[in-house]
Amino acid sequence: MIDESVSQQPEVSELPVILADNVRFSYMHPETGAVEALSGVSLMMQRGKHVALLGRNGSGKSTMAKMINVLELPQSGQVLVLGMNTLSEHDFWEIRRSCGMVFQNPDNQIVGTTVEEDVAFGPENLGVPTAEIRKRVDESLSYVGMMSLAKRQPSQLSGGQKQKLAIAGVLAMAPQILLLDESTSMLDPLSRDDFLAVVDRLIKDRQMSVLHITHDMSEACMADYIYVLDKGKVAMEGIPSRVFSQVKELRGLGLDVPVFAELAFEVASRLGLVIKQETLESRATALAGIRNMLDKVHLDVGIHIPAAAVPDERLTPQRTILEVSHLHHSYDKKGEPSLSDISFSVKEGEIFAVIGHSGSGKTTLITHLNGLLRPQEGEIRVFPHADGDVLNTKKNSDVHQIRRVVGLLFQYPEYQLFEETVEKDIAFGPLKMGLPADEIKRRVRESLALVGLDESILQRSPFELSGGQKRRVAFAGVLSMDPDILVLDEPAAGLDPTGRREILGYAEKIKKLGKTIILVSHNMDEAARYADRILVLKNGTARALLTPAELFSNPEMLRDLELCAPETVICLNDLKADYPEINPCIFSPGDAADELIRAAHGIHTGNAQKVPERLPGDAHD
Amino acid sequence: MLMIKDISIGRYYQGDSILHRLDPRVKIILCFFYMVTVFMMTTVPGLLATFAVVVFLCILSAIPVDTILKSVRPIVFLLLFIMLLNVLTTRTGHPLFSWWIVKITDEGVLRAGLMALRLFLLILSTSILLTLTTTPLLMADSLESLFGPLKRIRVPVHEMAMMMSIALRFIPTLVEETDKIMKAQASRGAEYDTGNVFMRARGYVSVLVPLFVSAFKRAEELAIAMDARCYRGGEGRTKLHVLHMNAKDYFWFSFLSCLCFALIFIDLFVKIS
Repeated sequence: MIDESVSQQPEVSELPVILADNVRFSYMHPETGAVEALSGVSLMMQRGKHVALLGRNGSGKSTMAKMINVLELPQSGQVLVLGMNTLSEHDFWEIRRSCGMVFQNPDNQIVGTTVEEDVAFGPENLGVPTAEIRKRVDESLSYVGMMSLAKRQPSQLSGGQKQKLAIAGVLAMAPQILLLDESTSMLDPLSRDDFLAVVDRLIKDRQMSVLHITHDMSEACMADYIYVLDKGKVAMEGIPSRVFSQVKELRGLGLDVPVFAELAFEVASRLGLVIKQETLESRATALAGIRNMLDKVHLDVGIHIPAAAVPDERLTPQRTILEVSHLHHSYDKKGEPSLSDISFSVKEGEIFAVIGHSGSGKTTLITHLNGLLRPQEGEIRVFPHADGDVLNTKKNSDVHQIRRVVGLLFQYPEYQLFEETVEKDIAFGPLKMGLPADEIKRRVRESLALVGLDESILQRSPFELSGGQKRRVAFAGVLSMDPDILVLDEPAAGLDPTGRREILGYAEKIKKLGKTIILVSHNMDEAARYADRILVLKNGTARALLTPAELFSNPEMLRDLELCAPETVICLNDLKADYPEINPCIFSPGDAADELIRAAHGIHTGNAQKVPERLPGDAHD
Repeated sequence: MLMIKDISIGRYYQGDSILHRLDPRVKIILCFFYMVTVFMMTTVPGLLATFAVVVFLCILSAIPVDTILKSVRPIVFLLLFIMLLNVLTTRTGHPLFSWWIVKITDEGVLRAGLMALRLFLLILSTSILLTLTTTPLLMADSLESLFGPLKRIRVPVHEMAMMMSIALRFIPTLVEETDKIMKAQASRGAEYDTGNVFMRARGYVSVLVPLFVSAFKRAEELAIAMDARCYRGGEGRTKLHVLHMNAKDYFWFSFLSCLCFALIFIDLFVKIS
C-alpha cells in the first residue's frame, strides 16, 4: 500500500537528501590497472522515500553506496548529502553520522563484544556523554526488539538478529538516511521479513530515507523508486511498475522481475496483448490485470490453447541409494536434540530437497550424510551400486569410501579454496583419492566444463576470481571426485538472479548424468521448481516427505509448518476463485500462464459455470 | 576427527560476588601486590599466611572449589618438574637419602615445597582475582584505563585495547569458521590425523590458507564498517561503561593491600630477629 501522506508532500520545495551528479570512480587493480566502477552516475533521493538500487554483481552499486557515506570520494562529479558536499572536509563526519549503513555480512560489522557495547560504538565515537549513550542504546535496542539480548555476545545471535543489531547500532547515531548494502542477502526468509519490517517501520514512523541496494525483486517492489545500475551507469530508472514492465531489458541486465509481473507478462504475450504499466504496481493489481486479460480469451479464436499439463513421470520406482533411519543427534547432552528420530530414503537419480527454517537441523543432517558426524543413535547407509556393497557411516572402514560416493558442498563454499591455481584446487579431491595423473587431468577439465567455466581459468589463482567464479570452482572441486550423490547446501545463496539460475541449472544438468542430488534450500520457489521430492524439517524432526505438488497444494500443512507457498502457487490460488479448474501447483510462470489460459478457455467455452466477479482489491495474501 | 568447536577463551565464571563486582583495575593492582608478597615471603609461616589470604579470596569469590582447582590443573606437571629439579640440585643441608649420585637433603625438600607453593599461589590468585571473576572485555577496558597516562608519551594504549577487544569479539567467529573449513576439506578427502608429520602439516595448509584469507577479508570489511560508524581513534571518545571507583572498591583495595604489606613486614621482622 502506498502511503498517501508521503506522496503528497511538496517535493519540489524540499532539497533532496541525496543528490549524485555524474559521479565517476575507478579502482586501482594491481594487475589490470584502473578499473572504472562508476562511469557517470546521477541519482536523487527525497526525504522519507525508499529507493532501490538494483544491478547484478559488479555493476557498481556498492561503490555508489560508499560514495554517499564518504567511504570513497568521487574522482569527478559530486555527491550532495543533505546539502553537504562529500568532498568538503568540514562536513565529513556530519555526513557519516547522518548516513547509517548496514552491510552484507552480519559478522563483519559487529565491533562490540556484547550487544549493548556494539550499539554504543557509534555514539562513543561521536563523543556522546555516557548517560545519553545509555539512553540511545536502550531506545535503539527496544526499537528493533532486542532489549532482552543486551548482554549477549554477538556469537550467540542468529544471522537475522545480527543484522537487526547492525540497524540498532546505526540508529543510536540518530541518522536521517539508511543505506542498506545487500543487507538481507545472507538471511533466511523469516529473518529477512523481520528485518524488512523494521526498515519499513523506520520509513513510516521516522521519515527515514532508505537507499536499498539489492538484487532481490520482491524487495525492489517495496521501493518508491528504482535505479538499475549496469557497468557503472544508470541503465534504467523509474517507479517499480515502470521498471518491471521492461521484462526483457531487465533480464538483459542480469535481473529478474517479480513473479507476479512475469506471470502477467507471460499471459499477455500468449494472448497477444500489451500490459499497462499500472498493472504491475503490486501483486493485487497484477492479478486484477490477469483477470481482465483472461476474460478476453473467448473473444479471440486465434489463440493457441495449450494442452493440460501432463503430470511428470517422476513416480517410476527407483532404487534407494541412501537411507537414513532413526537418526538422533544432540550437540550437548542436556540440551534439546538437534535431530530426533529422522528416517527417509533417497532414490537414485532424483533431486531431493531438504527445506526448513534456520535452526531446523538441515546443516546437522547433511553433515551426517558423508560421515563428518557419526550417528549418536540410528544409522545411515549408502548403496552406491545396485548389487554392490552397503556402506555404513558408523563403520570407520567405510567412511573413506563414503566420502567419495557422497560429495558435500557447504554453504558459501568459495571460502574453502586454498591452492595456488584453480587447477590444483579442483584436483585436490582426486589427488587425495590417489588417482593417476592423466585421470585427474581429465576430471578437472570435465568438472570445469560442467560448471560452465573456461579452461583459460585453470592457471589463475582462485583468489583473484569474482565471487561467482569462486563459487563455481568450489563446485567443480567436489564434482571432480565424481560422487554418485551430491549434497548441495544453499548452493545459490547470496548470488544475483542470473547466478542463482546458473548454479541451479548445473544441478539439473548433473542430475541428467544420472547423479542423485540432495539440495538444501530455504527458497520455496526454487525447491518447488527443481526438486522431485521435498523433506521438511522443523525443530529437528522430519515433518513431511512429499512431492512439491503434494506439499504446496496443502495450505493447512504449509501453515502448520510455517512455510509459504511459491509465488506462482499464491497467484494461481488467488485466481482459482474465478477459474475453479486451475491446478495451482505449477511452479514456473510460463507453465502457469498456459494453465490459466487453458482454464479460462474451458470456462468461457462452456461446461463450467462462472463464479461471481471479485473485486480486484480483496486479493488475499 | 578433530573438532575444535568447544574452545572457550578465558574461563570467566558467571557470578555476582564481591570479587565479581570489584573494579577490575583494583583487582589488577591487588593481584600485582599479592605476587610481590608471595615472592617476598621467605619463611614457612609467612607463606602459610599468604595461603590463608588466597583462601579468604576464594571464599569472597563464591566460586566452587573444584572450578578454582581446575585452573591449576594445566601447570601440575610444571610444578612437579620444578619440585624434582629443586630436590635433586640442592646439595646443602642434612641428607635424608643418598644413592649413587642422587642426594636428597631436608633443605632441598623444603626449598622444593616452598617453590611449588609459591607458583601454586600465583596461579590461584590470578585465577580468582582476574580470569575467573573478570570478563576479558573489562580486562581490556581496565588495562586501557591503567596505562592511560602512557598515552602522553605516545604509547598507543587505546589502539591496543581496541585490538584486544576486537580479537576477543572475533575468536568465536574464527573458531566456528575453522570448524567449517575443516569439514569442507575433509569432505574433499583431506585428513588431519593420519600420515607422517609432513602429510599432516600439508593437511593443515588447506585449513590455514582459507582461514587467513577470510580473516583478512573480515578485517578489511570490519575496518570499513568502523569507518562508517565514525570511528576515529581514541581521541574525544566517550564510553558506555565508564569504570568508576566507589566506596567498596576503596575499602577492599586498602584492606587487601594493607594486609599484603603487613605480611611482608612481619615476615621481614621475623627473619631479622
